Parts: sequence; C-alpha cells; structure tokens
Amino acid sequence: MSVDVARSPTTTRAEAPGAPSRPPKEFDRPRFLKLFTGVFFLFLFAPIVLVVLFSFNSSRSLQDFEGFSLRWYEQFFESESLRDSLIASIEIALITMLIATVLGTMLAYGLVRARTRWSDSFNVLMLIPLVTPEIVAGVSALLLFTQVGLELSVTTIVLAHITFSISYVTVVVRARLASLSLEVEEASMDLGATRWQTFRLVTLPALWPAVLAAGLLVFALSFDDFVLSFFTTGESPQPLPVRIWTQIRFGVRPTINAIGSFMLVVSVLSIGLALLIPRLFGRRESGLKVLLGREGA
Amino acid sequence: MSESRFASAFLLPGALWLLLLFVVPVGFVLALSFGYTDDLGEAFYGTRLDNYERVFDPAFVPVLLRSVGFALATVVLCLLIGYPVAYYIAIFGGRWKNVLIALVVLPFFVNYLIRTYAWIAMLGDDGLVNGVLNSDIRFLNTPWAVIGGLVYGFLVFMILPIFAALDRMDPSLIEAGKDLYGSPWQTFRNVTLPHTIQGVLAGSVLVFLPAVGDFVSASMLGGPEEVMVGNLIQQQFLASDNWPFGAALTSVMMLFLLVWMVLYLRAAAREAREAPA
Repeated sequence: MSVDVARSPTTTRAEAPGAPSRPPKEFDRPRFLKLFTGVFFLFLFAPIVLVVLFSFNSSRSLQDFEGFSLRWYEQFFESESLRDSLIASIEIALITMLIATVLGTMLAYGLVRARTRWSDSFNVLMLIPLVTPEIVAGVSALLLFTQVGLELSVTTIVLAHITFSISYVTVVVRARLASLSLEVEEASMDLGATRWQTFRLVTLPALWPAVLAAGLLVFALSFDDFVLSFFTTGESPQPLPVRIWTQIRFGVRPTINAIGSFMLVVSVLSIGLALLIPRLFGRRESGLKVLLGREGA
Repeated sequence: MSESRFASAFLLPGALWLLLLFVVPVGFVLALSFGYTDDLGEAFYGTRLDNYERVFDPAFVPVLLRSVGFALATVVLCLLIGYPVAYYIAIFGGRWKNVLIALVVLPFFVNYLIRTYAWIAMLGDDGLVNGVLNSDIRFLNTPWAVIGGLVYGFLVFMILPIFAALDRMDPSLIEAGKDLYGSPWQTFRNVTLPHTIQGVLAGSVLVFLPAVGDFVSASMLGGPEEVMVGNLIQQQFLASDNWPFGAALTSVMMLFLLVWMVLYLRAAAREAREAPA
C-alpha cells in the first residue's frame, strides 16, 4: 500500500488546482512503445485464442474453421479414461491446496514472528523450491518415492505438488503478515487473550484474503503442473497434463484443443477468483499485489 | 512460552516437510550420481566417477553448451521484449496498469503444454501460418522454435520484477533527467536503467533457471539437433533407465545453477531486509 504513497507526487500535481496539465513532450508520447506493447499482447494471446477457437471446429482441420461443433468436447467427456484423469487432476489440486495452504501459512507466521538465529536458514529453505528448475524437483521426488518403496500414484503426485506449493503460499501470506501491525496482536494479549486465541481470533482473520488467494493460486498451479506430475505419476489415472503430453506425442489432435480450453477455463476461474478476493472482503487493495506477495513492499 | 517460541513452533511442520521432501531427495540425487547400474539396468549407490566422465564426454558436451546457449538467448530476448512492455505498463498504464499486468500474467496460467502445442498448430508444416501464407516455411525443428517456446513460456518472470522496479521508481526522476536536457536514451541509461537494474537481474535469473532445465519446448518444437540437457535427464529416468547417469546430469546442472540461485536469493534477502516491515 505504500506504493500508492510513493506514487502520490504525480497524482497531486495532476490534480493540483490551476496547474495546467503540461502538454506531453515527445518522450511522453510513446507511440512506438504503445505499438510494441500492442503487438506483444497480440503474440501473447494469439496461440491461446487459436486453441479455444479450434476446439469448437466441426472438422479435424487446424487451418480452416468449418463450423461450430462440440464434438471434441463430447469426445473428451465421453472418454472414461480422460474423465478419470480430469477427476484425478481436480482431486490432486484440491488436496494439494488444502495441505499446502495450512503448512505455508504456518511457515509464514513462523518466519515473520519468530526471531531465532535460524530465521535466515528457514527463509532460504523456503525460497529454494521456487528457484529450482522443476525437473530437478521431479527427479528428486521420483528417487525419494522409489527409495522408500512408495508406489507411484495420485498420492505421490500430491506429495510432490505440496512440496513446491508451500513456498508459494508462504511468500503470499508473509507479505500480508509483514504489513500487519504487531500492536493489534499485543493489544489482544494485553486484554487477556492467550497467544493461541490471539492467532485464531486476531491474526488469522486479517490473513484470510491472502490465505484464500494463495490457496487458489496453488490450486491453479497444481492443476496445470506437468513436469512434477510426469515424474511422479503412476500408470492410471494420470493427471490431465500427462495425458496431453502423451497425446501430443501422437501428433496434433483436435481433442487436445478441447482439453486445453477446458483446463484454461478452470485455471482462469481460480486465478480470477484469487484476484477478486480482497474485494470480496471489502478491501480496496489490488488482488494482484496480494497474489504476487508484493503487499506493503 | 515466549512470543518467539510460540511462533517458532509454527515453523516446524513446513520446514520439516521441505527438509524431508526436498532437501533429502536432492541428497539422494547427488548420492546416486556416483552409483552404477547392473546388467539388468537396476541402479545401485556407489563411489564411482564414471557417470561424471560420461557427462563430459564429447557426445554430451554440445548438449550442455546448447542448453546454456538457448537459455541465454531466451534471457536476452525476454529482456528485449519484456523491458519495453513493463515500461509502457508501469509508466503509461495509468488506471489500466493493474488490468494490463493481470493480462500479462493470465496466459501464464494456461497450461504450458497447451501453450507450446498452440505454436505447433500455428507454425507446423501444415499449420495456420503456412496455410494462410500458402507457403511451406519450416519453422519447427529449428533452434529458434525452441528458443521462441522458452521465451513464450517464461517471459512473465522477466516482466513482473522489472514492472515492480519501475512501479516503485518515482516518475519525476525521469522528468528530472529530461529537464536536465538528457536525451531519451541518456535519461534511460543514466536514470531509469540504474534504478531498475535489480528488477532486470532478478528477471534474468528467474528466466534463466527454468529455461536451462526445460525439456518441453525442445521436445515439442525442436528436432534431434535441438536436444537440451532436460531431455537427456528425462530420457535417463523415464525411458532408457540409466538413473545414475541421469542423476549425474541433474547434479551437474544443479551445481551450475546453484551460483545463480545463491546470487538471486541473497539479493532477495537483502531487499526483504531493506523493505519497511
């Protein structure tokens, strides 16, 4: 929120009474930049729009749109094994979301409020999974599970997903926690509440928007994850991204467009909801900042 | 129980989880990289260096170099594309700023496979572009197709930190630069860039790390000449079953990336300390 304060000089000048708005100089009229950004967004969305559009194509072609049809969606939902995969994906994402949100929130609270000489080490431990290439995490998880004799299944995927999701939750929740004033918690304890009551009745309610947003973020990341799932999946049911990978190996198929579009809707809905969460809680802050862990930074 | 002890107890479950399911397994990978396989392909721990010798065998060195080369090209392209976009959104976005940044982030939540696959549909020999142009240009199975896939996949990691740095910067600094008769380029070089260099460096590392380890782009958009280290690792573990060699490849990649991770984490920690709590 301090970002807004930093920005205020511009706003005050623009709104100052009588101050004529200075005609923008040459540099202020970034026609090139505007064009560049426009082209960038075009390239960013063109492939995605294409996938969604051709998921409704009545023919197999990926060049000509011949007519509207839902046959590829029918094929998707009528295939029992794909339906199993969809259910597995949702199951994995939900369990990952629940466990990672609890662990990540606790970790965030500990990182911000505990002053141990290990704080820096815990912080590094929490950040490393975020910057480790996924393939390293995948290989490590695969080795761990075979080492302890855990058969690869939906369970192993969930375990692997939770591991990288904890850090995302911690980053998001920690930013929110750091912007909370300690005094409120101290006041609560001065009034006779125990530490646990204070956490439950004062701290946690203030953290809810960030916790929920982090949970939805984790849901989307887990639902979309391919690399970790690929290394830790059993024979069946395999999560949807692994199925897509196998199908693409056999060549471009219209069913993939339907699966991809459907997954897109699920992820975009959960991220959209995450962005709206602060507003649902009646706060005016940007959901994006909450999600990027940049609150108060 | 002191305030700090109470909070420390919260650290335990998450820290333990990360220790047991992340740190320990990475230790397994390092250990197995000194191992060997028997005639049946079963992997055993050991104290051999064979796998590392094989990693630096002339057959595999080009793959390692190519992975780094592709990743560097990806970083440069992401910077060239990402900086102007972040700049436009941060400085000129006005009340659309948040919407525009959300639009940048959104495609990142479309499954990476689907996004890469979309490029096959667009650029394939019988894809949309060749269909529209009525041509038969070969886009796929080239280094640029793979690099393009990586750029498309990881661009958001470049744009966000640069946007954050620009957003924090006081825009009147830029005006001051121009008031002092700096040309746009001089103002950019002497004022804007130094103020956002942290974002540029963070973005570069955040793009470089996943790009080096990626195997999706190379296996979907590239051919046999574009194999990256990620593809090799994936084959060792999931196809040809030489786990110790795969572990050695993973270890070499990890050690190489560790330098960049440490630099990034130290910068991030410094920023966290300096930021008002």
